[in-house]
Amino acid sequence: MTTPAPTDGRVALLHVDDDDLAACVACGLCLPHCPTYRVTGLEAASPRGRITAMRAVQWDGAALDATFAQYMEECVQCRGCEAACPSSVPFGRLMEGARATLQEQPPVKRSPLRGVAEWFGFRVLLPRHWLLLAFTWLLLVAQRLRIVPKGVALPRLSARSLVRPLRPAPAAGEVDAYLFTGCVMDAWQRDVHRAALEVMEAGGAAVGLAGRGGDCCGALHVHAGRIDEARRLATRVVASMPGDAPVVVDSAGCGAAMKDYGHLIDTPEARAFAARVRDFAEWARERHLPLELTGRRVVVQDPCHLRHVQRAASFTHEVLARAYDVTGTDDDGLCCGAGGVYAVVQPELAGAIRARKVEALQRAAGDTAPLVASANPGCLMHLRGAGVDVRHPAELLAAALKKERPPL
Amino acid sequence: MDLTEPDVASIDVDVARLQDAVRDATRVVPEGARTQWEVGGAPRAGTLVRAPAGVVRYEPADLTVTVAAGTPFEHLAAVLREHGQECPLDPRDARATVGGLLSAGLSGHRRLRLGPLRNWVLEVRFVTAEGRLVKGGGPTVKNVSGYDLPRLLVGSLGTIGVLTQVTLRAEPLPAASQWATTARPPSDVRAELFRPSSILFDGRRTRVLLEGEPADVEAQLRAGALEPAEPPAWPPGANRGRISIAPDRVERLGARLTNAGARWLAEVGVGTVHVAGDTPETLTAAREAAAEHGGWLLREAGAPALDPFGVPLPNFGLQQRVKAAFDPHGKMNPGRIPAIDPDPAREIA
Amino acid sequence: MHDLVNDLRAALGTDRARAEPLELALYARDAGVARGRAAAVCWPSSTDDVAAAVRIARRHGRPFVARGSGTGLAGGATPVGDPVVIVTTHMNRVLEVDTANRVAWVEPGVLNLDLTRSVHHLGLHYAPDPSSQQACTVGGNVATNAGGPHCLASGVTSTHVLALDVVLADGSLARLGGLEPDQPGYDLRGCFVGSEGTMGIATRIAVRLSPDPPAVRTLLLGFDSVDDAAATVSGIIAAGIVPAALEMMDALITRAVEDFVGAGFPRDAAAVLLVELDGLPDGVDAQIGAVRAVASERSARTVRVAADEAERALLWKGRKSAFGAIARIAPDYYLHDAVVPRTRLVDVLEQVYAIAGEHRLTVMNVFHAGDGNLHPLIVFDAREPGIWDRVHAAGDEILRACVEAGGVLSGEHGIGLEKREAMPWIFSADDLDAQARLRDAFDPTGAANPQKVLPAGSRCGEATRVPEGAWI
Repeated sequence: MTTPAPTDGRVALLHVDDDDLAACVACGLCLPHCPTYRVTGLEAASPRGRITAMRAVQWDGAALDATFAQYMEECVQCRGCEAACPSSVPFGRLMEGARATLQEQPPVKRSPLRGVAEWFGFRVLLPRHWLLLAFTWLLLVAQRLRIVPKGVALPRLSARSLVRPLRPAPAAGEVDAYLFTGCVMDAWQRDVHRAALEVMEAGGAAVGLAGRGGDCCGALHVHAGRIDEARRLATRVVASMPGDAPVVVDSAGCGAAMKDYGHLIDTPEARAFAARVRDFAEWARERHLPLELTGRRVVVQDPCHLRHVQRAASFTHEVLARAYDVTGTDDDGLCCGAGGVYAVVQPELAGAIRARKVEALQRAAGDTAPLVASANPGCLMHLRGAGVDVRHPAELLAAALKKERPPL
Repeated sequence: MDLTEPDVASIDVDVARLQDAVRDATRVVPEGARTQWEVGGAPRAGTLVRAPAGVVRYEPADLTVTVAAGTPFEHLAAVLREHGQECPLDPRDARATVGGLLSAGLSGHRRLRLGPLRNWVLEVRFVTAEGRLVKGGGPTVKNVSGYDLPRLLVGSLGTIGVLTQVTLRAEPLPAASQWATTARPPSDVRAELFRPSSILFDGRRTRVLLEGEPADVEAQLRAGALEPAEPPAWPPGANRGRISIAPDRVERLGARLTNAGARWLAEVGVGTVHVAGDTPETLTAAREAAAEHGGWLLREAGAPALDPFGVPLPNFGLQQRVKAAFDPHGKMNPGRIPAIDPDPAREIA
Repeated sequence: MHDLVNDLRAALGTDRARAEPLELALYARDAGVARGRAAAVCWPSSTDDVAAAVRIARRHGRPFVARGSGTGLAGGATPVGDPVVIVTTHMNRVLEVDTANRVAWVEPGVLNLDLTRSVHHLGLHYAPDPSSQQACTVGGNVATNAGGPHCLASGVTSTHVLALDVVLADGSLARLGGLEPDQPGYDLRGCFVGSEGTMGIATRIAVRLSPDPPAVRTLLLGFDSVDDAAATVSGIIAAGIVPAALEMMDALITRAVEDFVGAGFPRDAAAVLLVELDGLPDGVDAQIGAVRAVASERSARTVRVAADEAERALLWKGRKSAFGAIARIAPDYYLHDAVVPRTRLVDVLEQVYAIAGEHRLTVMNVFHAGDGNLHPLIVFDAREPGIWDRVHAAGDEILRACVEAGGVLSGEHGIGLEKREAMPWIFSADDLDAQARLRDAFDPTGAANPQKVLPAGSRCGEATRVPEGAWI
């Protein structure tokens, strides 16, 4: 990421590339693919508007003020606009750069509480998996005591799951594939990993888990503009899964970040690692799985980081169709509003975006309440918060595995 | 006269004379073939002016044709037919001039598939009250350069200017064309057919015009259980009018018209109902029936005492401003749209 | 200024009007290149809101500019003269779908493609399909009389709009047109459609819904010369076929698109045609045979009929991704829009290439061949010094060449600010005066989207002046 040389004596402000910023021709084709524009109708809440605002700061001397910060922070970073952009504007990169700048030079004094919360989350909790697990136990107790505030879309944590570690069948030699378990997901949704493991082993793979440091992938840090921290975490993850075996990721957001390690770290090792990363369904589609037809209808929600960033959403449909009556939504894969921590930071917008998505899911399901598949833990929790029955594709596949299976 | 090779210079001279005549006149009455002379109010006495005739330019591969406004429709149709094309203005009397047809603005019986008259007009040239020659629109099949003067002129009954020349869109003649009939209700028939050219209903039988590829016409006849038939006749009678009404109200209105003693033929899916009767009172009754269903009746012929429109002009102030912008002194064809004439009191006196 | 915003907020709601400099910057332009400056932006949610906004603007002596998605390419929504920008994005409801009359009443902010999707289950669609249909609003389509590939057979916006509720420049309301086929008096609806926001703001629109064709087939034809492709276009028409769509792409764009989408376009063809036929199955089959025959007469080297809906969708994706493909060749482009008589296509294309060559620019052509609607696309890198002058000079010459071939200035983008000064190329002083009279009859105050469409000096006796705050 190069910051342009100032041409008029003024110090260029944003950590964005001038060519990237110049690439937008303001055609507006991104607008309907932007969840915040869809629910607000405001140029300021659209990709084109955000780019115009960045240009105003970068080129026309507009202030890096609270209004600008608000425009940037309202972005879910779903990157639906990138997929729709005819000029291939790297919007995600622009937004990460703008956020990195705001991180360095916050125009408004952040509330000390938020500063502490961010420090604790990004710097303390996420990089230390043991601490995250301990924290999760605390949350679990809080949940049982009903002192978790309403509106926090926390899944129902399970003590039974937390005490049972994942145990793949031991591999004789090299593993066929790694299952990446991450940080929050391992703490809060370990059952999804368990299902993924079951499906992978049913598909005949010897599965390995990441070694030390193979937990937090740094995706949330990238989105928040904490690039240096993200690089440190990514380097750890790369080192944690040596060899050539594919790295299977059952979280679309993590998978997207890991596929981008080549760009983030920019070393041959990172590029080679990124090439090994597969979304769970992307891996599973090439395997024979002993599945039986369930006859149940499943509405597949395409997580943004699978559809727009990894461009691998179709595999989930393909694999699930082996056991289910699969249907998609008619909203061009518009974001559900989860966006990592977005739903916590921007609850109002996230709620409005989710309401739109829930309507689309219901339209797709027809008369019945939809059974929804989502390959991203964030979307899954966010949509469950609206009372939708959402499962991870791995869970749905595990449920459809033939009970009587020939020995491997 | 060979209409495919016009003497363009003579048309120009004619137009120049026309400009002079309009400029010098105190009242201008444009005249075509007088086939729709009674549409709208009765023309007042004034200087009769006629547009020149002749096909100015015809490029079949462009599907466009430019004609002087005084060209009889039947001549235009003959020229186009030689190249397997048509311009579906569909006048009831083919002697009508193209300019007259467009000025009256009444669409033909194939409007269901081919749209209203105005959709076929690409460019207009007309002489204004001051005698200026004005062009609006453009000669190409697609154009959004400037304001849509062609649509203003179509149906303006000569009250904005005198049409001298128009460019029209042409269309390949359908390979097959067949009228057919059935006793089934028209809405049922319509639901089964794809892009029928016309569906007419007289309260008893449904008549359909199918046009297109021969195989499609055959398939549609079968799909709608239709029997081939002769083209229907227009309702006979010296007193004629046409009702405009929302399409879904046509069948209900039809029953009322029959009770009122009117003969009628409705364009299903369009909302035009052609009405005829032996006495002016029939039209009055039909007009009342139309009004009850939210429509209105335009007097087309006969019933001279009947108001031509029978309803106040919608957006009267706006209509007046448009009229005044082009003809502030009310010199262009006064009486045809009586309400729009400036200071009607003086006109009556 | 603050009074203006306060009044707007009092009428529309506190969060429905803004005037912070950064906010105004976001509304300084549409998808065209001209930039202006707004005094305030507001987001009404009803006809009454729009009327109130117009009246407040007038009370403060300001003009107003309506804006939908801001996807117009001619600067039609660019604010000139410190106006109030009235954004219709909150008015985005499909109010009523009337299947008996095959009509939908919609608010102006409904997106074109959303409208079609909302009636898809009824076997109906809204026919005009501009390339920006996923993003553009029906209100904006009405303002520009938008077209699209499928307007060849089905007609542009004006043929699909039956009635309009509009707010006029004095804040009064009017219903233009109606569901009845004819109205007494002048066709005010016809005058309003395509008037680029200079006659008022449409707040409710009745559009015609068309039944989906039972069969749709798409052919891909590849040729060794542009001449053969153009002759095939004429041949198809001469064979009595008006396809649902008939699109041409030249060699450069075909290669770029193929590299981008991989739809199977012949990379070495000099030109390709996309021909879409729709209707009843038998007739469509017959027409496919006829088109094949015409194409082989003109020595087409690729004749491919899309085997299924997926292949058909991929071909169209290629056509509609043309701009995306171009972004890989050069960072900037300038898209033109002009129409020539179909028979002059070859001739004009040659001139387009020659003009670009003289200015050392790359031009690509992807366009609606069926109706002669050219979209020459000049690609360049804006960082090259002096490049804009060359781009504009070439653009002007291309437009002149189209006009000299008997063409017009715009087929679907409109005049806006971009082509205002070119209007005298095709219209005389008397022609422009007549257009100005019509416009002024609707808006005697001149407050509705001022200085658009007509060049300064269109009215007899009007002084020529350059708009403030606008550059083109």
